Amino acid sequence: MFNRFSLWVLMCLSLVWVSCEQEKSLPYLGPKETKEVNGKIDTIYHQIPDFKFLNQDSAWVSQKDLEGKIYVADFFFTSCPTICPKMKTQMLRIYQRYLNNPNIQLLSHSIDPTYDQPHVLKAYANRMEVDAKKWNFVTGKKEDIYKIGQKSYMVSAQEDPNESGGFVHSGAFILVDKHRHVRGIYDGTKEPEVNQLIEDIEILLHEK
Amino acid sequence: MSKEEVLHEQYRVEGLVMYQKHCENCHQANGKGFKKLYPALVGTNLLKRVSDQEMIHMIKFGIKADANHEFMPGNKELQAIEIAEIVTYVKDLNGVKEGIVEQKEVSRVSQ
Repeated sequence: MFNRFSLWVLMCLSLVWVSCEQEKSLPYLGPKETKEVNGKIDTIYHQIPDFKFLNQDSAWVSQKDLEGKIYVADFFFTSCPTICPKMKTQMLRIYQRYLNNPNIQLLSHSIDPTYDQPHVLKAYANRMEVDAKKWNFVTGKKEDIYKIGQKSYMVSAQEDPNESGGFVHSGAFILVDKHRHVRGIYDGTKEPEVNQLIEDIEILLHEK
Repeated sequence: MSKEEVLHEQYRVEGLVMYQKHCENCHQANGKGFKKLYPALVGTNLLKRVSDQEMIHMIKFGIKADANHEFMPGNKELQAIEIAEIVTYVKDLNGVKEGIVEQKEVSRVSQ
């Protein structure tokens, strides 16, 4: 009797496990707020605010250009001697994988925007042989970029004369869904983490 | 193995370790480079374009873009022997399988 019961429990557990496996979903990162609408409690997830930056073609890029798209954001600078090369080799993997999928975009913010003017970013993008249609490299007001990095994408990005290259920034890749919610943050210098990011993009692609 | 071959092998192996620590991040494993962003050190006639002295100079002092920015950062913390090993390794990648770059050649190169 006991045996049959434990078998039953085991089956139930495995069923739960299987259903979890099938409906993989990603968390919503960042502070949440709750709001009462008509007596119902609604959760408001953290969202990337409106922004407007100049890209490598000296064209404005804003949230409108990314509307309804999944994108991966990061923070770098062109003369970075430390982790940026690793990040860019990993970002290029994502670029190549989703080259023909217009629903996936990449957005690299310069944290050295006074030097990284559009023509510098253009030369950089050209040397990487990537296209602005998929991968925007953007520059703007320093305080705007640091603010959106720290407050919205939740990563460190600022000047630091003690760091080699003069700036401190994390090597994070931030995964943003179609509705501007942050759904994952990964170490963009590590291949296994970027593999995970790619798996998570697949989950988002199937999300309604 | 002759004494020279042993010395070359020592420099090559030490140079590989130093290369992985100080160069590989950009120039990638085995000097294959990354797109046109970080130039390849093999298959690009490097040794025809750049002398030992020039290579030592680049590693030591980097390549400036402007007053505050560099195309390639310098490595002033590296010892002469370490740069000698790196250059020996990079030349080995380019098919120079004998001889070494001497420390004193490195010390001679100044800004």
